[in-house]
Order: sequence, then structure tokens, then C-alpha cells
Amino acid sequence: MVVAVILPRFSLAIAAGGRAALAEGPLALAPEPGRAALVGEVSPAAEALGVAPGMKIAEALARAPRLRLIAADPVAVADSWEKVLVRLESVGAQVEDGGVGLACFEARGLGRLHGGSLDGVVKATRAALKLPARIGAGSSRFCAVVAAEQARSRRPSVVDGAAQLAGAPVALLAREPATAKLVEPLSRFGITTLGQLAALPRGSVSDRFGRAGITAWEMAHGNDRPLRPRKPSEPLEETLTLIESASGPQLAVALEMLVDSLLARGELGGRTLRAATLSAELTEGGTWRERVVFREPLSDALRIRTALALRLALLPAPAKSLRLAAEQLGPPAPPAEALFDDEEFRRAGRLSEAIGQLRALAGPQAALRVLLADPGSRIPERRAVLTPYER
Amino acid sequence: MTPAARRLGAPREVRVCAGVGGRPLEVEGSEISAVRESWLVEDSWWSEQPLRRRYWELVTIDGGDLVVFRDLVGGGWFRHR
Repeated sequence: MVVAVILPRFSLAIAAGGRAALAEGPLALAPEPGRAALVGEVSPAAEALGVAPGMKIAEALARAPRLRLIAADPVAVADSWEKVLVRLESVGAQVEDGGVGLACFEARGLGRLHGGSLDGVVKATRAALKLPARIGAGSSRFCAVVAAEQARSRRPSVVDGAAQLAGAPVALLAREPATAKLVEPLSRFGITTLGQLAALPRGSVSDRFGRAGITAWEMAHGNDRPLRPRKPSEPLEETLTLIESASGPQLAVALEMLVDSLLARGELGGRTLRAATLSAELTEGGTWRERVVFREPLSDALRIRTALALRLALLPAPAKSLRLAAEQLGPPAPPAEALFDDEEFRRAGRLSEAIGQLRALAGPQAALRVLLADPGSRIPERRAVLTPYER
Repeated sequence: MTPAARRLGAPREVRVCAGVGGRPLEVEGSEISAVRESWLVEDSWWSEQPLRRRYWELVTIDGGDLVVFRDLVGGGWFRHR
């Protein structure tokens, strides 16, 4: 049995400063700087006035003139969501991150840890979460998500197979990115429930909607892909507070320092970086966050910087602080081989080895270099910094 | 600032005896023989931590070259080199 946990309006609650704020009136999450002018999650009061997530701001304000737009805070949301996932993992679950507000895990195997029943697992999950959540269980991932959407009481709702899915609205397909775009055309065809979708011939659905249609049809029949649990990892991140609101070349220097500092961390243990998250606190309020997956695992500071700089160029406003977090680590990089017998290459290798040993003994501050952060600054102490020497 | 990076040339507090117009006469007990230059730096006035400094480049009586400043926001004298 798969268990799904839904924390409704999670991003809005974090950005608004807590769940209590959601009861204060019509609220909606403002778009992130530089993104399309559409509202994000909305409070129950705003929903009652006809405001829906994804609606244009002008339309939302026309429907609810008293609507208060809350600045999006993707960094705080990501941090809080990570804590939720860690709490779920603390009950022994292998958790699949379904995006902010949705997490799933397989309950089989957890029963013995928590009283031998599904109720025991759900009780332990609620105790670990310490947050109001909708919890559902089902024979597949999608069944569990539908059950969680229907859950209202403290007891979990259970959806076991296609028969119990039949009355559920097709709008629930929006939970899965692969089938989200089908909700609107299916509704236009008059197909409003999953039962109606399941009753259609598979071939017809496939001909009309392609691969996404087959996925939706299988989901309506209670089938879904296996869970993809994430691998719990130790958080590894570096933050740089920028004294002046920085942009352009200053940001590039800040990025260089962050990459060097992250690569100098002992916890990295010589492993490569597969994915990283770059986030910033903006001077004009709000935050910005970009996830970067490298084409191949990297350990070379220059290549990492080059990949990250492309995303940093998308920063919509000057930043107060910049943060770089290693999301996924790869295997240790094999030592590079020289094509020719090169004295300089061997010298660099010896130097690299010496610095590695020095750091192992005395920590990341053992080998430093002078980096010109802002050489033209009128404030002398802003001109140069000592930063870890990158091998 | 990340713990692994630190600023170079951070100013340190010094004892200065100043005369008319704030002109330093003595720095850490060393008498000043000449003022080479003086300038005002204002920065970050838009933030909660504005910066306003009166800099003095000085020559001591024994030929040393000093750069000191008076912090016009928080008070106190500081030396860069």
C-alpha cells in the first residue's frame, strides 16, 4: 500500500509567515520576479471569491479587489519542504518527493515498526510531521494521491483500485506533470470523472492524446509507475552575504568564491557534483532559486562555475545574499592523465596532493588564495578576500 | 560571508588625537608631520547600514605613511595600513 501526504497551500503558508495568516482574508502567492504574471496558491477566502491558482493577476484582482498578493519565497519554501521530507524519513519511510506539498512512500515494511497496521503508520507520520496534513493510502501512487485529496478527518482515506477512483474528478490528473495538460481537453470533451476516462477504449485515448493519454488511462485504471524514493543526503551548502546589493561582475566573483568554498568542504570527500541549487535573497524583497543539473558529474571549479553562471544571469534583481547547495553528489573524479610527459602537469599534481593533505589535517582554511572581489571599490576592505585555494 | 572566506584589509581601531577641523595630530602616539590628502567616502546610504568616512592620508614625523579614517556614523578612528 502506498501512502500519500498532501500539505495544502504549503508555499503560500510559508511565504505568508504561517498557516494562521491564511485565515486573515483573501491571499494569493505573487509570481516570482521575472516569471509570468500569474498567481500561485490561493487562500480559502480567495478561492471562495473565484480566484484560482494559475489565474492572471489582473483577473484575480478583478474577482477579488481586496486580494492581498504575498511575495513568493522559493528559498524558504524549499528549506521548509526539505524539513518535511526529513521528518517523513524519520519514521523509516523511503520518500518520493512529488514536488512541494506532496510526498509518497511505500507503507509495506513500515507496519512492523508502527504497530502492524496502516493506522499505526499514519499515526506515526502525523506525529513526525507536526503539521496539518491530508493523508491517504492506495494500491498505487495515484490511488494514494486521490485518497489524500479526499481525506478530511484524522483517519486516512483509502482508495483501493479503479472502482473507487471512478467518481473522482479528472482534475486530479493535474497532480502528475505528464498528464496535467489533459485536464482541460478532457473536460471540453465532457469527460469529467476518472470513471468516464477509464471506460474509453485504450486505443482511442492513445490515438487522441498519445503517450500522455495512455498514462492517464492507466492511472484511471488504478495503475501507476513504481515510486522513485529520493536518496537522503547530508545538506552541503555555502552562503555568501553580499555587503552591497550585487549584480553583474560582483556576482560572478561571489559565485567563484561559493564554488571554491563548496569544493573545499571536507564532507565532499573528493566526490563530484551532479546537481546543485543556486538561490538568492533579493534586495527588493523575495527570493530566487534555480536548480542546475550538470550534463556530467563535475569536480572542476571552472566548469561548475561556467554552468552556474548561465543560470545566475537569469537573476531578476540585485541580490543581498547568494547560496550554493550541492543537491546530488557523483562518484569521485578519476585522476586526469596527461597526454605527454609534462613537468608542469606533475608539479600541479604534487601541489594538489600537498594541499589535499594539508586540508585533511587542518581543515578547509589551510590553503587560501587572494581573490580580488571588487578591486575598484572605494572601500579598501571590500577589494580583496581570502578564499580557499582551488586545486 | 562564508566561514571559509575572509576579507583582507579590514580596518582596525586606533587612538588618534585630532585638532581643529578633525585633522589628526597624533596617531598611536606618533606625531603627524603632514597631511598628504583627505577625502570623504559615502556609501550604502540607501541601506540600513550607511557608510560615511572622512579619510586622511598622513605622514608621521619618522617618515611613515598612514591611512586613517573617522567613522562619521558610528564614531571612532580606524586605520587601514
